[in-house]
Amino acid sequence: MNLSEDQIRELAIQAVKELGDKATPEAVQNYIENELAKSGKVQFNKNNTSGRVILTSFGLNATGIVSSITKTLSDCNCDILDISQKIMQEFFTMIMMIDISNSEKDLKDIQEEMNRIAESLKVKIYLQHEDVFRFMHRI
Amino acid sequence: MPYDFEEILETIKMTEIEHFDIRTVTMGISLRDCADRNISVTTQKIYEKIMRLGSNHVNYAKDVERKYGISIANKRISVTPIAIVGDAFGEDEFVKIAEVLDKAATEVGIDYIAGYSALVQKGMTNGDLNLIKSIPVALSTTKKVCSSINIGSTKAGINMDAVNMMSEVIKHTAFLTKENDSIGCAKLVVFCNAVEDNPFVAGAFHGVSEPEVVLNVGISGPGVVLDAIKNAGRVDFQSLAEVIKKTVFKITRAGELLGRKVAERHNIPFGIVDISLAPTPAEGDSIGDILIAMGVEDVGAPGTTAALAMLNDCVKKAGLMASSSVGGMSGAFIPVSEDASMIRAVERGNLSLEKLEAMTAVCSVGLDMIAVPGDTPATTIAGIIADEAAIGMINDKTTAVRIIPAYGKGVGEYVDYGGLLGRAPIMPVRLISSSNLVLRGGKIPAPIRSLTN
Repeated sequence: MNLSEDQIRELAIQAVKELGDKATPEAVQNYIENELAKSGKVQFNKNNTSGRVILTSFGLNATGIVSSITKTLSDCNCDILDISQKIMQEFFTMIMMIDISNSEKDLKDIQEEMNRIAESLKVKIYLQHEDVFRFMHRI
Repeated sequence: MPYDFEEILETIKMTEIEHFDIRTVTMGISLRDCADRNISVTTQKIYEKIMRLGSNHVNYAKDVERKYGISIANKRISVTPIAIVGDAFGEDEFVKIAEVLDKAATEVGIDYIAGYSALVQKGMTNGDLNLIKSIPVALSTTKKVCSSINIGSTKAGINMDAVNMMSEVIKHTAFLTKENDSIGCAKLVVFCNAVEDNPFVAGAFHGVSEPEVVLNVGISGPGVVLDAIKNAGRVDFQSLAEVIKKTVFKITRAGELLGRKVAERHNIPFGIVDISLAPTPAEGDSIGDILIAMGVEDVGAPGTTAALAMLNDCVKKAGLMASSSVGGMSGAFIPVSEDASMIRAVERGNLSLEKLEAMTAVCSVGLDMIAVPGDTPATTIAGIIADEAAIGMINDKTTAVRIIPAYGKGVGEYVDYGGLLGRAPIMPVRLISSSNLVLRGGKIPAPIRSLTN
């Protein structure tokens, strides 16, 4: 983002006029972000950490596991980025990489949804943020 | 997929099967600005500060747990050594501070609050003396408060007057908490070379050179290392070292990630990750089992110290590679009551107090959670503390004694606390006397640092 000194000063004066005594660090930040977003110069991504989550599922194989999980994910507006599924002997294993940044639900809600269907399907479903795998397995 | 199937399953296996968890996220809070000549003002300031900074600690830690799928066993707070905050106070007033710490800890929902401490390796102020005298009452009237006293260091030598005083304090604490298997002693540590950024209780305190507020994290994970060693099979020592280092590297990385995220939520600086392998009483989550998997028949067999030395060294090497903020104790803990395999070794008569003492020369931290007969003389306890402090002083490392002279109990009986503190069989102590040695009093002078042969 490139703003000239004049533009920054102008923004600061506007913020002082608008917020006055009510200014708190959060209020100033919100105000500036809104103004910049309105001007169309900068897009703020509120979730600046990546929204990529690894979903791991395993249990005894049965019909309909993948479809139940993917249906729930699509209901939550989650994007499936990658999927890898294997049957090892009679065990079903599936690993998905999903993006939850467009979902109106947060990770906790989606985990709760998954716990519900995991129970009915008699499989285990874990959702963990991608960072934990990146930190453990990539230098 | 940017990660292999095996990599993802390895992480899931660690968290779901091998008990990998983060042992503690400990928020360090400076209470130096709470000092006042009036005790009510001091306790009010302490209460308000802990409530202000700590009230979200448990919630933030829970959010991060959920996000990464790794559980955080304990949420704790450490504070400035209370003897510094209340240097002008008497015994009763120190107890009031302990009570307000306990109250604040209960209200913010944390597991322990530590820092009812004094650093007296060189000598005592009036405040230090009063705090030490108040420990038995303070620990018997509170639940979550933990206390530690530093009685020696490589630079200052060992303050034997303080050692004698602490052995009496330990005995008295055991007596005052006799209804609960002398549990007060499980919350009391005597240190040599105490560290300022340790996140593990009971020895945590927020050192004087630490910032206003900081977040430190202590990892765990003996179960993960145990499985890796078992899977490696019969390989030579270099290959075994590789296996241990690779595993510890991964768990340290995860620990640092979680610690940083909790600190980020608080908007406070991240301090250190303590890479200690801390066992729990759960089956398989044990340092003793690691030593057995390395090849000794039981903990205490000749070779145990060598195996532990290598384990400890590998933990440090891998941890230092994985994080640039390593601190605290950072080694392998061998608390008897918190480790199922160590308990068994004591029950079978394979592990003696003397062998444990030798083991503490090569690992962190010291004689930890050891129950001894209630009639053990204070001078014998002083002798045990002095021995352990001497190991720390000469080897320039932290050593500690957390010993429980279980009031009214003898060899063959148990103390049982449940939870992370576990249960300990009462170990026999040699009956020969140390009193003429320890009661000389004064100080053992600081040691020479060269000619280390």
